[in-house]
Amino acid sequence: MSGGTVDRARAMAAPLGRPALAAAAFVVLAAAFFAVIGRNPLSMIGVVLEAAAGDSYAIGESLVRATPILLCALATALPARVGLISVGAEGQFYAGAIAGTGTVLSMLPTPGWTMLPLMLVTGALGGMALSLLAGLLRTGLQVNETISTLLTNYVAALLVTWLVYGPWKSPASQGWPATVEFPAAAKLPALFDSRVHAGLLIGIALAVVLHLVLTRSRWGLVLDVLRSNPRAGLVAGLDFRRNALIVMALGGALAGLAGIAETASIQGRLQSDIAGGAGFSGFLVAWLARNHCLRIIPLSLLVGALLASGDGLQMFAQVPSSVTLVIQGLLFVAVLLVNGWLDRKRPG
Amino acid sequence: MTTFDIVLGSFLVSALRSATPLVFVLVGETLVQRTGSINLGVEGQMLVGAMAGYGAAALWGDPWLGLVAGAVAGMLLSSVHGLLTLAARANQFASGLAVWMLGFGLSAYYGAGLVGRKIEGFGTWRGAGPDSVPVLGPIVAGMTPTVLLALVVAPAVAWWFWRTRTGLVWRAVGESPEAARAAGLRPIRVRLQAILLGGLLSGLGGAALSVDHTRTWAEGMTAGRGLVAVGLVIVARWNPWWVLPTALLFGGAEALALRLQTADAGVSAHLLLTLPYITSLAVLTLTCLRDRGQAAPAGLRAVMDR
Amino acid sequence: MHLQLRSIAKRFGAILAVDGVDLDVDGGEVLALLGENGAGKSTLMKLLYGVHRPDAGQVTIDGRATRIDSPRDAMASGIGMVFQQFSVIPALTVRENLALAHASTPWFTGRGARRATAGLAPLAAIAPDVPMDARVSSLSVGQMQLVELAKALQQDPRLLILDEPTAVLGDDEVRRLWSLIRGFATRGLAVVLITHKLADVAACADRVAVMRRGRVVASGAARDFDATRLLRTMVGERDLAAPSTAPLPADAPTRVWIRGLSARGPGSRIDGVDLRIARGEVLGIAGVSGHGQDVLADACAGVLSPDAGEVIVDGETLFAPRQRAPRAGRVAYIPEQPIRNAVAPDLPLALNLHLDRLHTLPAIPDRRRMEADARALLTRFDVRPADPTMAAGRLSGGNLQKLVAARELCGAPALVVASHPTMGLDLAASAFLYHQLFALAQAGSAVLWISEDLDDLLHHAHRIAVLHRGRIAGVVPADQRHRQTIGAWMTGHADAEAA
Repeated sequence: MSGGTVDRARAMAAPLGRPALAAAAFVVLAAAFFAVIGRNPLSMIGVVLEAAAGDSYAIGESLVRATPILLCALATALPARVGLISVGAEGQFYAGAIAGTGTVLSMLPTPGWTMLPLMLVTGALGGMALSLLAGLLRTGLQVNETISTLLTNYVAALLVTWLVYGPWKSPASQGWPATVEFPAAAKLPALFDSRVHAGLLIGIALAVVLHLVLTRSRWGLVLDVLRSNPRAGLVAGLDFRRNALIVMALGGALAGLAGIAETASIQGRLQSDIAGGAGFSGFLVAWLARNHCLRIIPLSLLVGALLASGDGLQMFAQVPSSVTLVIQGLLFVAVLLVNGWLDRKRPG
Repeated sequence: MTTFDIVLGSFLVSALRSATPLVFVLVGETLVQRTGSINLGVEGQMLVGAMAGYGAAALWGDPWLGLVAGAVAGMLLSSVHGLLTLAARANQFASGLAVWMLGFGLSAYYGAGLVGRKIEGFGTWRGAGPDSVPVLGPIVAGMTPTVLLALVVAPAVAWWFWRTRTGLVWRAVGESPEAARAAGLRPIRVRLQAILLGGLLSGLGGAALSVDHTRTWAEGMTAGRGLVAVGLVIVARWNPWWVLPTALLFGGAEALALRLQTADAGVSAHLLLTLPYITSLAVLTLTCLRDRGQAAPAGLRAVMDR
Repeated sequence: MHLQLRSIAKRFGAILAVDGVDLDVDGGEVLALLGENGAGKSTLMKLLYGVHRPDAGQVTIDGRATRIDSPRDAMASGIGMVFQQFSVIPALTVRENLALAHASTPWFTGRGARRATAGLAPLAAIAPDVPMDARVSSLSVGQMQLVELAKALQQDPRLLILDEPTAVLGDDEVRRLWSLIRGFATRGLAVVLITHKLADVAACADRVAVMRRGRVVASGAARDFDATRLLRTMVGERDLAAPSTAPLPADAPTRVWIRGLSARGPGSRIDGVDLRIARGEVLGIAGVSGHGQDVLADACAGVLSPDAGEVIVDGETLFAPRQRAPRAGRVAYIPEQPIRNAVAPDLPLALNLHLDRLHTLPAIPDRRRMEADARALLTRFDVRPADPTMAAGRLSGGNLQKLVAARELCGAPALVVASHPTMGLDLAASAFLYHQLFALAQAGSAVLWISEDLDDLLHHAHRIAVLHRGRIAGVVPADQRHRQTIGAWMTGHADAEAA
């Protein structure tokens, strides 16, 4: 393709904007998929919208799904600020759930007001620990962080399974592998008389704060330089290792927070598979938002709604909920296609 | 024949059988990385391979058709990665994850009807003559066609890679696409070929897993094997000759976990299942500690270091 | 072979790199394509070889319009090229590199491509001493270039392009290359020799073509161009007051002591480098590239932690093993390849100008003030466009170099480490940069100046130290009389010193 064509396409795309183009590509791909599986694309899109935001219950469920995705997206975006590609939010989510649950169980007979803050802090620390492991492997031994975080995801998920089948299994739950029910003192306050909890507000507040810190502060500039050109950062006397560890630690803490908040407030107890791909959806959202913390807020709501619509699809259209996983993948493909194509550098 | 022989022999067999699906994936991903890309989507390609392979085997009753169907499915999905990274020049890690998500979703959707179905698998030579030979006997007896195929494919690819002209071209592209282009080669085309071949092999690996190794289909059944393979390529130092021993490391860890589980060693099965991942991460760390990333093809370093 | 280029044009972003060039080359002649850095010579030849595609214009070979979209097409049309940044692959052996591109390499090549013998003849003819089964990474730069040349010759080209082939070679190697080039022309090949060295023209060119700002401004028989006319044509009718360094007083006190410095970097190292630079002195570091220059620069600027030794500035140890003082304000550093080593390409110029002193900014920096400071600096150092909000990656190579100079040379550092500071600058910009550099020296800074251009060093530096295999082979005053000695040191012939 000649440079001229790209230029012309770019000029055309400029007023439309990236999001519009990506959305258009996504709709085309999703419609094609529905057509392939023998469903009318238009009516399916209607069902998805209905199931995601049709009534207050649907909206509530969408917000419930969006909460951990929002935090996990921030957990991905932070390391990305220095150019690290961490896919560890899923594992950090579990690590946070384990650490926080440990705190709750150890305080159990006499839950006091300290339980909630302690649970949240230890949950964040749990996620941080797992993330720091990958960070240390990267900064100390040049072990690729993408690969190490992907591997630790499986370990963390299996640790949860081990705990709820073994040491932490509630005697009251009979066959079902789970811990005891968390006391009310461990639950974040609910919003609007629904399952939505204060974790959503915490996530939004953190996104705003992070946005301000990253765009306005000197530290934000340091991270920008390290991402743009680590070698120039080194020549300028900036410390890549220290800053990489800081963002990995903070990112892990956010995903850990997501994990314990979901465990305590939505599930009410620790059990297997609670993350349900929130970490990976978070990665997708961070990528859609191009690691921009403010943009992450609406985009995680969008992806949360898409996933929440899966249950509705199953009920109203007799389509397996796994369709939403395909749609999520297509969304990712559409965005990469459009962004990659718009960003492709001219030769030379 | 002593008990020790039997135990060792059967352990080796189970290690080999656990390693088999991984061998295919690892060979494929080694070639992909050798030409200068990285494809995390192998996990998704394995899944669609496992699903399509199992479905074909169930539908037509022939496990061989299952392997073929799996390979084709894996290759088709890998073309998405080729399109995203080579035509749209998307970030390779992100593209791989997108392919993974897509593969997970597609295999879950189309595989929903396969859960719980039975298939006719490959036979083994168990109970035939070779049983009486120490150590080697049980190994041969426990072989299945996919194990043999893996034992052939890995050295064959290694031989091709180091001894033929096309292998040389692929190595050159991975070291320096610019230099390869200046020498009149077509780096993009070579990378696409490698990604598609990698897709074919990962799909075959997935089918080997579902059709032969576990003889079941379940959503997400590859459980990170593809991602493990991406890491183990580094352990194998991007050399197809090292694929077999490296895959055996994972296979051995998995076989050990299963062995300890059945032996009721007092350790939880779930804890033991972490063993393959921890082993992989540990050997990966040791490799990086020794090589400091210097063993990687130069073209790949440009991708990994960012 | 008769090659005709008509109205060839190529634009990179805002820069018109090649601007409507007409050029003719005939078989049996050597055409020297001259011009300053950035004049467009390399780009023009890369267009001809299909590395880039022209935006406009026509290529005609032997009367037939020819479209060249890739090096593959160029090779098919009988064009071969020896790149300045070699296109041989370091991780492969010589034999493998040669087998790679040769049409008659068999499918089964055997281990280390030992069964591929067809493409080896050109190398055996021009350099029988190069080991065939050694990895290219283990060869010397001169040997690498011969392999690169052999690779181009394999294709039996009718037109051979050589991009600055003598820039990286020692004197003996240069002479060998000249005679090879003359030999090619005698055999009927058309040769295009890209260079900015007048000695190359004198030694082997039949015709010259001079480029300036993307255009061919003069061409003709080589004998019609003497050195003065060539220089005048390359530079244009600008009056260049040559900057110069002030003479150094004999009793100038030592300001910087690089004491027994050993360090390792990727690919090269330095070993026990011991140098003293006086207040106001410009010490040139000469040497063939790849002999530890980058490591020396990094270690002296505190970027690379040394294994042994120290850098003492004004009596205080700044850098030593496990010791690194912040360099901002005291040590200025212009590393080579600024786009790779010194700027954050997707960030604004204002931020790039504050890169080395980020830690001195307030926790919430005042953007407007940063931009105002930046605008003043950009204007002072003539960076164009002087827009502090523009991303640094959008600047041209020369302006990037000026950007880094603006950042590093604006204060009053005790030590200036400058590595190829004028690479990519035209003569006017080079003169301006030298002026800034030498003004700092006059004001009392000690300057460590690494360059591959011996003429520049001899002309401007006070003393010249030669780096060979990571060690200082010797130090002499910068004087034409020591040229032979320096050349001998550069190529590792230490005994020539006595002769």
